[in-house]
Amino acid sequence: MTYSDETLMAYADGELEPAERAAIEQAMQADPAIAEAVARHRALRQDIAAAFAGILDEPVPARLQPPAAAPVAPVLSLDAARAARAAQATPAPARRRWSWPEWGALAAMLMVGVLVGKVVPQGGQPAIAGNGNQVVAQGELASALDRQVGGKDAGAVRVGVSFAARDGGYCRSFVMGTSAGLACREGGQWRIPVMAEAGAEAQGAYRQAGTELPPAVLDAIDARIAGKPLDAAGEEAARARGWEVRR
Amino acid sequence: MLADEIAALLPRMRRFAQALTFHREDADDLVQIAMERALGRSEQWEPGTRLDSWIFRIIKNAWIDEVRSRTRRAELFAPEEEGEHVGDDTAQAHQQRLAIQKAISLLSEEHRLVVGLVLVDGLPYKEAADVLEIPMGTLTSRLARAREALQQLLADTTPRTR
Repeated sequence: MTYSDETLMAYADGELEPAERAAIEQAMQADPAIAEAVARHRALRQDIAAAFAGILDEPVPARLQPPAAAPVAPVLSLDAARAARAAQATPAPARRRWSWPEWGALAAMLMVGVLVGKVVPQGGQPAIAGNGNQVVAQGELASALDRQVGGKDAGAVRVGVSFAARDGGYCRSFVMGTSAGLACREGGQWRIPVMAEAGAEAQGAYRQAGTELPPAVLDAIDARIAGKPLDAAGEEAARARGWEVRR
Repeated sequence: MLADEIAALLPRMRRFAQALTFHREDADDLVQIAMERALGRSEQWEPGTRLDSWIFRIIKNAWIDEVRSRTRRAELFAPEEEGEHVGDDTAQAHQQRLAIQKAISLLSEEHRLVVGLVLVDGLPYKEAADVLEIPMGTLTSRLARAREALQQLLADTTPRTR
């Protein structure tokens, strides 16, 4: 009995039914050429598997992780938020652990004073300002959010992903110095629902890995994004409309 | 959560991508593109079907669409990598690994895909045929031809002592 090379290959790959398998095993005993062909298929399979096996043990670069599974980097302002909360007599609602976006939002509010000091370009206007109970972008940050598309022409402010939010408006993430945040278009301004700092510890590994957004910001994106981030053409189009949603 | 399940497949995605693109950065770019596509259209995955097959199909399509044109095949074999430490055992294993990876890179794209799925990842024929959207018979004959081509390439480049 002779077997096609395909059948011997399928045998070596463990793809045959028991009856066929038994027949081949008999044939291998009777005919050394068949045994040799099977051995060749097996050896090749093993060699190839071995040549690529090491990749499975390599750490996966952070840029490949989906946003929700991204490694956790500390939000510097968390401590400030905690300290502030302790100092204030107002007890925080105890129903559940606060999620990162809430911490981030609280932190953004509390940190305005601190961050404003840090994100003032030399001689320029502060980049963010409190407006009632909202934080809005102004100055260099606002103009970068208005103008920057496709990750080009980044100055002190680098705009990251842009996307349409579930509530219909546009949002854009940004990195400015050691701070990162999310800005959402609302009422003709860039409102900043979250802004956090990548911790000093995070700046090495985390930045090198290509994602610079702290988890608070990633979570805020996650919570708002509808569909996929805009590509360069989508950003151009949104900019052409002044980041206002077409009604 | 689907994103977590996909994240758990990342090592296999990277390995498959490296079998296809043959350049580490291209491979990771490919995985990133596939990841974005998968998350962007996660509603297209049918629960109860194999997530790995679905993801590999996305990688395959992404490779064909976007990355193939800029595969920098030649760069992997930097001269210092090819002739280092001849003689000691690990160097020999290293050489063999390079020889195999190089041989796979010389295969046609069709052949590289079947080799990547069946021999590198170890998918059963049926799942591999599913990923490639081809009948089983086509898969087996393609795999047999790819193996033949590989044996030939390896015989040419590395005289084996076995």
